[in-house]
Amino acid sequence: MAHPEPLPNRQDRRRLDAKGLARVAVFAAIVAVLGLPGGFTLAGGVPITVQTLGVMLAGAILGPWLGALSMMVLLALVAIGLPLLAGGRGGIGVFFGPSAGYLIGWVLGALVIGLIVHAAGRKPVVWRTALGIFVGGIPVIYAVGVPVQSMITGLPIGQTLLMSSAFLPGDLIKVVTATFIVTTLLRAYPRAFARVWAATPSRGLERV
Amino acid sequence: MLTLYRPGTGWLHRMPAGPKLLLILSVVLVVSLLPAHWSTAAIAALVAIVGYTVSGLGPGLRGIRELGHQMFSLRWIMVITLVSQLIFMGPEPAVANTARVTAAIVLAALLSLTTRVTALLDAIERGLRPLERLGLDAARCALLLTVTISTIPVLGRRAAEVRDAQRARGARNNPQTFVIPFLIVALKHADELGDALTARGVR
Repeated sequence: MAHPEPLPNRQDRRRLDAKGLARVAVFAAIVAVLGLPGGFTLAGGVPITVQTLGVMLAGAILGPWLGALSMMVLLALVAIGLPLLAGGRGGIGVFFGPSAGYLIGWVLGALVIGLIVHAAGRKPVVWRTALGIFVGGIPVIYAVGVPVQSMITGLPIGQTLLMSSAFLPGDLIKVVTATFIVTTLLRAYPRAFARVWAATPSRGLERV
Repeated sequence: MLTLYRPGTGWLHRMPAGPKLLLILSVVLVVSLLPAHWSTAAIAALVAIVGYTVSGLGPGLRGIRELGHQMFSLRWIMVITLVSQLIFMGPEPAVANTARVTAAIVLAALLSLTTRVTALLDAIERGLRPLERLGLDAARCALLLTVTISTIPVLGRRAAEVRDAQRARGARNNPQTFVIPFLIVALKHADELGDALTARGVR
């Protein structure tokens, strides 16, 4: 069987190799660990969960398909009864609670973030990273979460949206933080992305 | 590793994971679809209490005590649902919807309470096997879940090490300063894990 060497950036969507499997497993575990107690306090002593920060990083670092898969793995483990969500929540019951839609939104959010941040296999730049993390991390997750919450609790969609907008400031801070982390990681540890990028476009332009 | 499972020998404990999943999900689904009437609140409460008493969680009031634990852990969800609906929709939908959501969640919790994670992993692998015709590799999915389960405590320890190291240097405990070193440590672990899997014949 002579496999043609696949392009490094194009993960074979049908088959998950050992390296991809390890990265998916580790990222699902990262998001679980970010939800463990002993978390963080922002200025003013407000305790926050950084689990959704992990969701944003999954898409931006693993790319769309592996990022979404790592979120599916995390949710599958939650469903079979591991208390991996922030606050030690777990069990299939969370998929019947008000936050069910947001959890499903994590999968779609990671996918969208990966698609935008790594658009056309190019090296992430700051504006595209910020845009991708924002779009996938807030509108996409809310677009799934709010209607499902409204359906489960029976509260009309407008009022539900009003209630969940209480989380917007925190989520915006997470978008900024995630963008900062990804751009720092690009310089400090580019291996994290397990991708190969063509020479930076700016160098190409200089030669023109 | 920590799970939500409570050991026991009742009939729900002994029931095979697959049928148990279907049974519990159908009860939860029926409860979830109840309309927003006063009667719903009573039915939901009754189904939850009956569910916890007849499922053989333990002798005497053990089941009811477990129900109390579960509801206590849901207190914030209950309060937020109740208050928001009282403000926007009035008492009847507020009470009915809160009871319905709470009952659905606590009934679903019976699955994790009475089933070992390993039994559910096996059930997932069996359940995915029919999808192999669509190109899904059930064994690989099960491997992925198992590897993740064993990775979580490893990364938990690594996270504690990173925090300790920062505390020793007097760094402030905020997301940026923790997450970047933790990500690098974790992704290096991913490289080693990938090599280890390859060495054991996973392609």
